[in-house]
Amino acid sequence: MIRAALLVLVLLLPAGSRAEEALISRLSDRRVEITTAFTGAAILVFGTTGAPLGPASGHDVLIRVEGPPQPMVVRRRVRVAGLWVPGPTATFPEVPSFYALAGTRPHWEVLSEGERAAARLGLINLPMRAVGEQAPVFRAALLTLKQEAGLWVEQPEPVSVDGGRLFSARIPLPSTVAPGEYRVSVLLVAEGRVLEWQEHGLSVLRVGTAATIAGLARNWPLLYGLVSVLLAAAAGWLGSILFRRG
Amino acid sequence: MQVYLPIAEMSVDALLLLGIGFGVGWLSGLFGVGGGFLLTPVLMLIGIPSAVAVASGANQTIGASVSGLISNLRRGTVDLKMGLVLLAGGFAGSAIGVQVFALLRRTGAVDVVVALFYVLVLGVVGLLMVRESVQAILRRRRAQPRRLHEHFWAHGLPLKTRFRKSRLYISVIPPLGIGFFIGFLSAIMGVGGGFMLVPAMIYLLGMPTATVIGTSLFQVVFVAANVTVLQAWANGTVDAVLTLLLVAGGVAGAQFGSAFGTRLRGEETRALLGALVLAVAAALLWDLVRVPDNPFAIGRAPA
Repeated sequence: MIRAALLVLVLLLPAGSRAEEALISRLSDRRVEITTAFTGAAILVFGTTGAPLGPASGHDVLIRVEGPPQPMVVRRRVRVAGLWVPGPTATFPEVPSFYALAGTRPHWEVLSEGERAAARLGLINLPMRAVGEQAPVFRAALLTLKQEAGLWVEQPEPVSVDGGRLFSARIPLPSTVAPGEYRVSVLLVAEGRVLEWQEHGLSVLRVGTAATIAGLARNWPLLYGLVSVLLAAAAGWLGSILFRRG
Repeated sequence: MQVYLPIAEMSVDALLLLGIGFGVGWLSGLFGVGGGFLLTPVLMLIGIPSAVAVASGANQTIGASVSGLISNLRRGTVDLKMGLVLLAGGFAGSAIGVQVFALLRRTGAVDVVVALFYVLVLGVVGLLMVRESVQAILRRRRAQPRRLHEHFWAHGLPLKTRFRKSRLYISVIPPLGIGFFIGFLSAIMGVGGGFMLVPAMIYLLGMPTATVIGTSLFQVVFVAANVTVLQAWANGTVDAVLTLLLVAGGVAGAQFGSAFGTRLRGEETRALLGALVLAVAAALLWDLVRVPDNPFAIGRAPA
């Protein structure tokens, strides 16, 4: 019995201490607040590693940020009688609303294709099961348009390394980010394998007036409609008194 | 100065919205219309989702028209009986319009259908306005008197009733129908419909010009209020922050516009308004006809 417990301890201890040293990572913020003055934000992901990073040791860090899943629809306009009208659509029931990937080196250089697919690293490995139109052009359009909107980003800027061990990366969130729970994953990679994998939660929340308005609109839509009517009427009436000429 | 629109879920320059509100308000003060037909397309142009643009456009119309309604009520230039008949039709039309709008959103056809409605309605109304005002200008030159109003088949319908303030004895069916039609378009296009209602009241109902503006404002304010509440309820697309910025710019612009408008003659103002309406229709038609930069568009799938 005592022998067994010692064996477990011996097996656990080095592994535990190695894990603590191998990778320590943190986020600058646990929450991002969307106020009425929100114009986008940036989160800083930083940490240190046990082994020095870089080509000498072959250790690399990858950082992945994933937003809450969102159903997206891709529409194609087709020409009918000289007019461009909406044609076939493809619905992607569960794609991340936001996705960013950064690394000390490009992810395709540090991990094999199979490893990247398993860890959902890289835009081509996002789960893009489509309902409706199946043509690959719809997937391509989703990829392009999400990237143009700054909501799907590969290598926003490489993870920078100071003194061989301190790494940091800035992940920009545009003003159109969806509120919800985000997951930030930090991976330590060497010799084509993932050595360490740490996860952090990040909440993107509407707060203040923006939250009140959105909450009212969602939970009491009828009341919100009436309030909107009264506000617009009051503003119009007040404004005409303020700006009256002559 | 950027401001985050909580319903559109995007950040827009507040000064840009105030400026748009001012510009549209100036034109609406000049022409005596709400200006929704200009505002909603401009909002779509700067990237506001069309569903939010339409619903908030209707909401903005209230702010743009309410002070005009109050001053007309004070002056006693609102035919309340006619207004209520128009409104009865308008409520029914806008209630159906909002449901149709929700259906279009689900099928994803909303952008194109809204644009097509704009092209058709603005095209027809613009042409009629230009034609009528040019004729009026020519008639003024020839100094021909005009009859009070024309009588045609619509006046022969049953359910005749007396509208004292407008000095009319006509069937309630034409005003009910006009109210319904404008209410429907108001829900689909996010406009108050003043630019269609005023000519319809003059030429179809034969109302005297003294009561036309006040009565149309009465219908526009209450139909826009109905559309706002129903859009908020059925589609959740009314953005109060967007509306308030537009109203703030709009009421300032309207005062300057109406001061400028006193320098123009009625027919010339109508001809200019007709030309403006046609220009908006042409711009939207061009957008439907030209080869799009990217034939694909993405959006959040309705749950």
